[in-house]
Amino acid sequence: MSGQQIIKKKKKFADEPNFTEKKTYRPNDVKETGLAFVGHEISDDGKVMNQFLHYDQLYTIRHGWNSPFFKGLLDGKIMGTYCPICNDTWVPARTHCWRLNCNLEHTKWVEMPLTAKVHTWTVAGWSGRSSLKRLPIVLIYAIIGDSKVAIANELHKIKPWDVEFGMPLKIVFKPKEERIGAVTDFHFEPIDNWKPSPMNKEKERIKKLVEPVYEWVKTMK
Amino acid sequence: MHFGHQLAPEWIIHDHLGLVGLPHFRVENGGNTGGSALYAAALSVMSGHHDVIGIVGWETMDSVSQSQGAEFIAMASDIRYELMVGGIYPIYYAAMANKWMKDNKVKEEDVASIGAKNRNNAMDNPKAQWYRNEHKYITVDDVMNSRLISYPIKKYDCCLMTRGVAFLLVCSEEYAKKVNPDGYCTIDGNGLSSCTIRAGDRLNNPGWTERYEPNYPEMTEFGACRNSAEQAYKMAGIKNPKKEIDFGEIHDAFSTSEAQIYKALGLADENTIAQFLRDESTHMHGQIPMNPGGGLMGYGHPVGATGIMSTIECFYQLSGMIPKKHLSKKTEVADAECGIVNSHAGTGTSISNFILRRGK
Repeated sequence: MSGQQIIKKKKKFADEPNFTEKKTYRPNDVKETGLAFVGHEISDDGKVMNQFLHYDQLYTIRHGWNSPFFKGLLDGKIMGTYCPICNDTWVPARTHCWRLNCNLEHTKWVEMPLTAKVHTWTVAGWSGRSSLKRLPIVLIYAIIGDSKVAIANELHKIKPWDVEFGMPLKIVFKPKEERIGAVTDFHFEPIDNWKPSPMNKEKERIKKLVEPVYEWVKTMK
Repeated sequence: MHFGHQLAPEWIIHDHLGLVGLPHFRVENGGNTGGSALYAAALSVMSGHHDVIGIVGWETMDSVSQSQGAEFIAMASDIRYELMVGGIYPIYYAAMANKWMKDNKVKEEDVASIGAKNRNNAMDNPKAQWYRNEHKYITVDDVMNSRLISYPIKKYDCCLMTRGVAFLLVCSEEYAKKVNPDGYCTIDGNGLSSCTIRAGDRLNNPGWTERYEPNYPEMTEFGACRNSAEQAYKMAGIKNPKKEIDFGEIHDAFSTSEAQIYKALGLADENTIAQFLRDESTHMHGQIPMNPGGGLMGYGHPVGATGIMSTIECFYQLSGMIPKKHLSKKTEVADAECGIVNSHAGTGTSISNFILRRGK
């Protein structure tokens, strides 16, 4: 039997990235020791034993096609994506259009304006362990530029009871040397010259709820 | 099971129940784990492939502190965008609820009555965490005066963090008639649906706007709840849920989200929801009592077990077991024939609904 041998070449999904420089900002006292039994206790009646297992691992989050957003943060930029077919724009970015009619079109990157508006908001008086000392936190979902979706982040430079739906915002980045390429590199602030509306019943209510939080945080070690 | 030091701990449980050789698999779907396991079991029995399936779920949330636990659970949110900006689920839900309450003219007191209702129902349920620990009846004022978690949510608007386990048998009706002819109930409808992981991505999501309406579900409505309820209603032949369903055990992670769920289940709309709440329609004396077993705020929220716990409470109501299982008849829905079970994950990211009826 004779014939031509056909070799199908697989299309490469992406080139394997090469990393030569790593920035680390891990606190010195964090050690990735993996799994270890680190203690135990036995109840006073001798019937029940608790064993303490310590689990400490470093994870790698590869951002892949989303990398421009996180790289952008290092440069003080908010990067979004848009669909070249329907022009819908998103921050947080989508790597493919969400419309079935656009057939999951691969999106293109665009630098977004550093302005936004409040879509909805809350004033947190309690949170996860790593955030407790920053309470109270004003967490908002904001629409950046003409994004079709809202992004969560903190609103600073405002009294918690003064937040308003639809209020105009600016995006403020940490100094360049403090940025780590994560969403914590920026926060929202009211635009310059923005003035809150006068105190009302709801604002008084929020103020009353928030005031004990300031006191509670002062007691934290 | 989410709070684990052991991957696949179900293999240990399975072994120690003497079930080696029988199939087992893990279902993990956030707060909707119990509902999703029930969904899988119901489909397996309906397919005719299995006759009897045991579903077990559990959680040991007291193995860490509350603030650690809240952060751990929040790892089910999008950690790239949300977790590290102070976000944990009560905060996400508060942001969603704040707008929902404004849009629907619902006041803090209206949802606070749900927080009081479920805890007070739990005072009739001796297994409930609220009954065993706090053990007190509370008022709307108590909820309003409890400490701020995230405006408009206060401490007593929130569910409990729980160590708990629940086990349920799902079987064919033939088998049920053989082993428990007078006390079984049937799963007549089930539905499972999904929404975005980030609530902020729902403002005008094409998947929903094409199905329902522009600007749906926004950050305020639970599209996956509406959609999965519609599936369950259709399967069970329910046209008017408010009239045809006698009661429900639903996912009250927060008093606000229980109110949002009422709307998604079709019990009220934007024009009627505020009055529906003020009429105490879902209290024991109301038209459609919700969470007579205490719900997540009173009974507890051991995440991996919760949906199963809710189903068991629904089963007790439908099989006439409440007087035995609760302390009195106060939390019995008299002559209940049809109940709804709702299980809910993420910020409404995965939601299931089930219609259960008393066995014939």
